[in-house]
Amino acid sequence: MNRLLAILFKISLAAILAFITLPLLVVIAASVSPTPAVTFRPSDWTLGWYAALWDSRWLDPFLLSVKLAATVSVASGVLGALGAYSVAYAKCPGHTAIMSFLLSPMSVPQIVKGVAIVLFLSSAGLFNLLGTPGLVVAHIVLTLPFVVRMAATAMFNFDKRLDRAARILGAGPAQRIRYVLLPLIRSGLFSGMTFAFILSFNNIPISVFLVKPGQTTLPITVINHLEYSLDPVLAAVNVASLLFILGAILLFEKIGGFSAQFHGGSK
Amino acid sequence: MKFSAFCTGVLIFVTLAANSRAETLVVNSYGGPYERIIRERIITPFEAAFGIDVVYDAVGSAAQDYAKIKATNGRPGFDVVVMTASQSLEGCREGLLMALSPKNVPNLAHLSPAMASVAGPCGAVHEVQYLSLLYRKDKLADPPTSWAALADERLKGKIILPTFQNTMAAYLVEILSVANGGDLLDNVEPGFEAMAALAKRSIGFEQSSSIMENYIKDGQVWAMPFWNGRAQLLVDSGLPVDYVLPKEGSIPLMATLNVPKNAENRRAATKFVNFFLEKASQESWVTGYKVGSARTDIDVPADIRAKQITTEADLKALHLPDLAGVAARLSAWGERWERDVVAAAN
Amino acid sequence: MAVIALSTSQSPARRDLSVKTFLPLMAPAIVLALFFAVPMGMMIGISFQSRDAGALTLASYSRFVNDGLVLVGFGRTVVMSGLVAVCVTVLAYPLAYYLARSTSRWRTVVLALAIAPELAGVVLRTYGWLIILDDRGFINSALMWVGVISEPLPLSKNLFGVVVGLTHVILPFGVLSLLTSLQGISPNLERSAQILGASRLAVIRHIVLPLSVPGIISSLLVGFTMAASAYATPALLGGAGFKVMATMVYEQVLFYLDWPFAAVMANVLLILMLGVAFVGSRIESRLNQNLHL
Repeated sequence: MNRLLAILFKISLAAILAFITLPLLVVIAASVSPTPAVTFRPSDWTLGWYAALWDSRWLDPFLLSVKLAATVSVASGVLGALGAYSVAYAKCPGHTAIMSFLLSPMSVPQIVKGVAIVLFLSSAGLFNLLGTPGLVVAHIVLTLPFVVRMAATAMFNFDKRLDRAARILGAGPAQRIRYVLLPLIRSGLFSGMTFAFILSFNNIPISVFLVKPGQTTLPITVINHLEYSLDPVLAAVNVASLLFILGAILLFEKIGGFSAQFHGGSK
Repeated sequence: MKFSAFCTGVLIFVTLAANSRAETLVVNSYGGPYERIIRERIITPFEAAFGIDVVYDAVGSAAQDYAKIKATNGRPGFDVVVMTASQSLEGCREGLLMALSPKNVPNLAHLSPAMASVAGPCGAVHEVQYLSLLYRKDKLADPPTSWAALADERLKGKIILPTFQNTMAAYLVEILSVANGGDLLDNVEPGFEAMAALAKRSIGFEQSSSIMENYIKDGQVWAMPFWNGRAQLLVDSGLPVDYVLPKEGSIPLMATLNVPKNAENRRAATKFVNFFLEKASQESWVTGYKVGSARTDIDVPADIRAKQITTEADLKALHLPDLAGVAARLSAWGERWERDVVAAAN
Repeated sequence: MAVIALSTSQSPARRDLSVKTFLPLMAPAIVLALFFAVPMGMMIGISFQSRDAGALTLASYSRFVNDGLVLVGFGRTVVMSGLVAVCVTVLAYPLAYYLARSTSRWRTVVLALAIAPELAGVVLRTYGWLIILDDRGFINSALMWVGVISEPLPLSKNLFGVVVGLTHVILPFGVLSLLTSLQGISPNLERSAQILGASRLAVIRHIVLPLSVPGIISSLLVGFTMAASAYATPALLGGAGFKVMATMVYEQVLFYLDWPFAAVMANVLLILMLGVAFVGSRIESRLNQNLHL
C-alpha cells in the first residue's frame, strides 16, 4: 500500500514536471532554430541568435531589469515582513481587514494600476518621478502583496511557545525577532522575495507606462521588437536571461533560501 | 535601517534619471525596421541640420502612448509622438495635444488639404498607407482584384482576419460596406454581413499584425487584409507575396506626428515636425520606408509611385473616412462585431 | 486530535496588545496608501464621471449591469479563475511536498524546474503553448498522424487553452505558497504518527493536509487573483471568442478610450477579489484559532 502510494506519487511528480517543461522546450527549440518556424531537427540548429545577444541593445535592458528586480525584491521583502509581522504575528486589531488591504493590489488588473499611478504622479506634479523611480515604486506596489502573503503564511505556522520560551529566558524584543522569529520565517520571506523578483523582472503592463527612453527594461525591449517580428532572437533573449537568473536563484538556494528547515529537518 | 537602504536605492535611481542634456528632443515611435529607417532617413539629418540631440523612444504602441499622454495630462515625457489620425482627433478634442498650423509648422501648407482635414488641427500627416489585399503569389495564380476575392471558394480556410481591436477591422467593415452597396458610416449593414460571411470561412482572428504576418509567411494563410507599408516590407523580405489596392478602393491609414500639449521641448518638437514634412524628407521617407505621402508634390521613383499614394489621382482611389464619426460609433460597432462576426466564426 | 494536542497554546493576553502592534505596519501601509489607495481612489472617482464632460453620473455602472457581453465576460472570469486556482493548487501540492521533504540530489533540479518557466517571459511561453495546442500544433498533428482523430481537437482559442496556459504561468507561485506552509510542519509529527502505526495515507489525510491549510488557501487565493487579472495569456490563448474582464479592461483603456467604463470594470473586479480574499483570510484565521486553541 505504502509502496504503491510512493510509486503513484513519483509518477504524478514526473507528469507535473513534464507539463511544466513542455512549452519551455518549445521556446528553447525556437531559440536555436534558424528561422521563426520552430524546427526540431537538431542538424539545423544554430547558436547564432545567442551570439547576437552580446550587444548593448540587449545587455543594457537586461542589466536594468536585474537591478530593478533586485531593488524591488529587497524593498518588498522588508516592507512585506513588517506588514506580515503586524497582521499575522502580533495580530493587531482588525488584522483580517488589514490583511485584505495589504493584498488588494493583487486584485487590480495591471494596466489599471499602471494608469492610476501615472495619473496620481502627474496630478501631484511629481513629473520627475515618472521614469525609473516611479517604476521602482509601482513594482513595489505590484509585488508587496505576494511577499506579505508568503511571510504571513510562514508566521501562521509559527510556534509561539518558542517566543515565550525566549522571553522567559530573558531575551529582549530585538533579540527575539533576530534569533527566533526571523530564522523561522526565513523560507517564507525568501519565497516571497523570489516572487517579487520574478514579477518585477517580467513585468510589461505597468512598466510600459513608466520606463524612460534609453532606460528600458528587458521585457519592454522584447515587446517592442515583437511588434515588428517574431524572430528567434527573442526566444534566445528569454532563454539566456532565464539561465542567468536560475543560476542566481540556485546560488541563493545554496546559501540557504528555500531549504531553511527548522524542525530538525534532515539535511 | 533597512528602509534607509531602500531610500538610498531610490535616490540612486533618481540621480541616474536626472542627468539630462541641454537641447534635446524625445521622439517616441516604433522599434524594429521602422526605427532603423527613421534614424537613418530623418533623425540623423535633423540632428545635423539643427544641432538638437534626439533621444529615440521606441516604448509602447500608439495606443499605449496615447494612454500615457492622457494619464499625464499632456506631459508624457516625450515631445513628438507618432500616432494615427484618429488619435490626433481624439487628443485634440480632449485638449491633450498642441494645435499645429502653418504658423508654427510652415510645411503643413503643402499637405493635401483633404488629407490634412481628416487628421484635424493637432496632427501632421507624415505618412499614408492604405488597407491592401495581401496574397501569396505561389498559391494564387491570378492576382485578386476585388475585395470579393476574399470570399472566393479557393480561399476557404486560407484567410485570417484582424480582431476588432486592430484598427484594420473597422476599416475593413467600412470598405466591405462600400463594396456591397452600403456607405462608410451610417449604412454599414452590408459591411457587417460580408464580414460575418468572411468570418465563417476564415481560420480565425488575430490582434497582432506580427502574428497575422506569421500565418502568411508559413503558408497557412493565402490572403488577408494588411496595411500596405508592412505588406511592402514582406515583399522586400523576399517572400512570394504581393499586394493590391482592390478596384472598389480602400481606406487610408494616416500616421501623424503629434506634440503633447505640455511637452517639455515644444519648440524643438515643432521644428522636428516641420523638418519631417520637408519635400526632401518626405521623398527620403517614402523611398526608405516604402509608404505614401500626403504631399503630392514629391518626386519618387516610378516603382514606388506605382504602389504608393503620392499623387492627387492616387488619393481619388481612397475613401476618406470621417474619423470623428467612426470614433462615436466604435463602441456600438465593437459590440456588433462580437455578436455577429465573432459568433459567426465559431 | 493529535494535531491539537501537539500544537501550541496561546496566551489570550497577546491578542489585545496596544498600538505597538501597529508600528511595523506603518511602513508598508503608508507606501500602499500613497501609491495604491490614492491612485485607485482617483480611478474610482473616474468611474463616476461621464466620458466627455466629466460630469458626475452612474451611466457606466448601469451600462455594466445592462451589457450582456460584459456580464458574460464577468461570469467567464469567475469560472476561469476558479478552475485555474484549483488546478494550480492540485498540481503544485505534490511538487511542494516533495520539495519540502526530499533530501535527494534531485531536489535542486526539481526546484529549478518548478521556478524556471516563470523566468521565460509570459508572452513567449504562451506562444510555446500555441505551438503545442493549435489546430495544427503538436498534439493535434500527433493525434491525427496516429489516426485517433480526423478533425483537430479544439484545444486553443477556448476555456481549455486559457486554463492550461494560466495554470502553467501561475503554477510556480502555487508551489512557493504551499512550500512555505509545508516547510513549517515538523517532519517529526509525521514520523511519530508513522511509528504509532498510521499509514502514509492517514498521515497525509490527518496531519499534513490539515496543517497545510494556510498554504492551500494561500495558493488558491494567489491562483484566483492572478488568473482574474492576467491579460496576455487569455488574450493570446483565448482568442477573439473568449473575452474575460481583464482583456475587456485593456480594450477600454487602450482602444475604446472609455476610461470611466474601464474603471467600473476594474472596480467590480477589485470588489470580487477583495471578497474572495476576505473570505479566505477569515477561514484561515478561524482554522488558525482552532489549531492553536
